Amino acid sequence: MSILEVKGLSKSFGDVKVLKDISFNVEQGQVVSIIGPSGSGKSTLLRCVNQLERADGGEITVDGMKMLTTREGKAVYANKKALREIRLKIGLVFQNFNLFPHKSVMQNIIEAPVHVLKKNKQEAIEEANELLKKMGLTGKEKAYPCELSGGQQQRVSIARALALKPELLFFDEPTSALDPELTGEILKVIQELAKEKMTMVIVTHEMEFARDVSNHVIFMDGGYIVEEGDPSSLFGNTRNERTKQFLKRYKGMS
Amino acid sequence: MNFEQVLNVSKILLEYLPNTLKLFFFTLLFSIPLGAVVTWLKRCRFKPVSWLTNFYILIMRGTPLMLQIVAAYYAIPMIVKGAKDSAAASGSQAGGFIEFLDNCMHSENYMFVTLVVAFALNYAAYFAEIFRGGLESIPVGQYEAASMLGMTKAQTFFRIILPQVVKRVIPATSNEVIVLVKDTSLATIIAYAEIMLKAKQMMNTYSSIVPLFIAGLFYFVMNAIVTVAFVLIEKHYNYYR
Ligand SMILES: Nc1ncnc2c1ncn2[C@@H]1O[C@H](COP(=O)(O)OP(=O)(O)OP(=O)(O)O)[C@@H](O)[C@H]1O
Ligand SMILES: [Mg+2]
Repeated sequence: MSILEVKGLSKSFGDVKVLKDISFNVEQGQVVSIIGPSGSGKSTLLRCVNQLERADGGEITVDGMKMLTTREGKAVYANKKALREIRLKIGLVFQNFNLFPHKSVMQNIIEAPVHVLKKNKQEAIEEANELLKKMGLTGKEKAYPCELSGGQQQRVSIARALALKPELLFFDEPTSALDPELTGEILKVIQELAKEKMTMVIVTHEMEFARDVSNHVIFMDGGYIVEEGDPSSLFGNTRNERTKQFLKRYKGMS
Repeated sequence: MNFEQVLNVSKILLEYLPNTLKLFFFTLLFSIPLGAVVTWLKRCRFKPVSWLTNFYILIMRGTPLMLQIVAAYYAIPMIVKGAKDSAAASGSQAGGFIEFLDNCMHSENYMFVTLVVAFALNYAAYFAEIFRGGLESIPVGQYEAASMLGMTKAQTFFRIILPQVVKRVIPATSNEVIVLVKDTSLATIIAYAEIMLKAKQMMNTYSSIVPLFIAGLFYFVMNAIVTVAFVLIEKHYNYYR
């Protein structure tokens, strides 16, 4: 059984159809990269799966739980309780971190375990320390987000998402708000998580990043999934004209 | 004016300082929570409520506070009297509350109560706009992050949004509080016995403008204290950006 199943997903903003018939699966332990030109709907897709945006139709199943189905052409969402349960199975790391600026690193990480999962605070702190160690942030627990570099902030936000022990972790351009030399530290963290068989879906504009970290790549254009496959075949010898063009343009830029 | 007279004037003004402070503190006490309520009403999804709130803010900010004070002082008794008369004419039983209001009209505190009502309603409109600005300045990403962590709407508001709003509204609130210190002098228009009224009276008594200067000094010192207080509050919130 796939951990995430998306079938025929569609979404419009007003008259603009942003997602048109999107279908894909994510398997347990897979690291999926989503690439594609700006405006192709990558973020919208992530936001629909994460319930930050309401889809217009299609089906989404997370860990066997039906989140969205379509009946008689109308999108039908699961009840509130189920949606909440599903939400906690999924973590999201934002492009611009969205850490809580008035809370310290530690407070950012234990906020949800303590107040949402109602965990014992001491236990939450111990787990947070483990996560900080893994993120290479030991000693930073008392710092405030504004005192950290972009790369450190992004690692805190990854730790914050992991503190809820999600089944599935999404990243929306986790490195594009960072200086290029900081990209490496995030890449390392993600590779570390991949080794632990964390299931991840990463939207990125960095092709090397996608190639290095993922074992499955989805190429989106104009609201469609144009092509998907393993990185070597997609980056190496794609037959698809649109993918070719996109990769060529990308190579021309870098 | 000789030194002794200056001292005497200062002493009398000091006696009336509590009346000024009373108006100041009671206005803050009511206008800040009321301002928060007005912000909330203005953002109500049910449009008529939002429109009505906008209308209230428009009137409060669009007309002079002095006018509002006079209106409250003279209009409220007139309305109460009218209600009492019509209740008496129709012989209705709803007179209890009107009777209560009527008694208030004749109580010693009536003047102070109308002042606080007028000031609080006026300042609530300004505070509401400040709070709204603060609330709307919080990036939507904060709400999204909280929602991704499974936080409820109430948790998101009280634990994530509100603390950040408080920090952001401090500078504008401090401006408003400084204006309020000076605006308390508008109460002289209905002869509320505060510093400004006494200063004017003594100006006549002594045929000198020195009492005015002394009154000015009183306001200046009060605002110096307010300013320092807000600097300290801002410092307290400086631990993050
Ligand atoms: N809230 C919104 N309201 C209206 N239109 C939107 C909204 N969000 C996104 N869009 C539009 O939907 C389309 C897809 O946007 P989306 O952000 O999903 O693209 P993307 O692939 O993530 O692009 P990028 O690589 O630049 O992040 C764009 O044309 C965008 O203008
Ligand atoms: Mg995007």
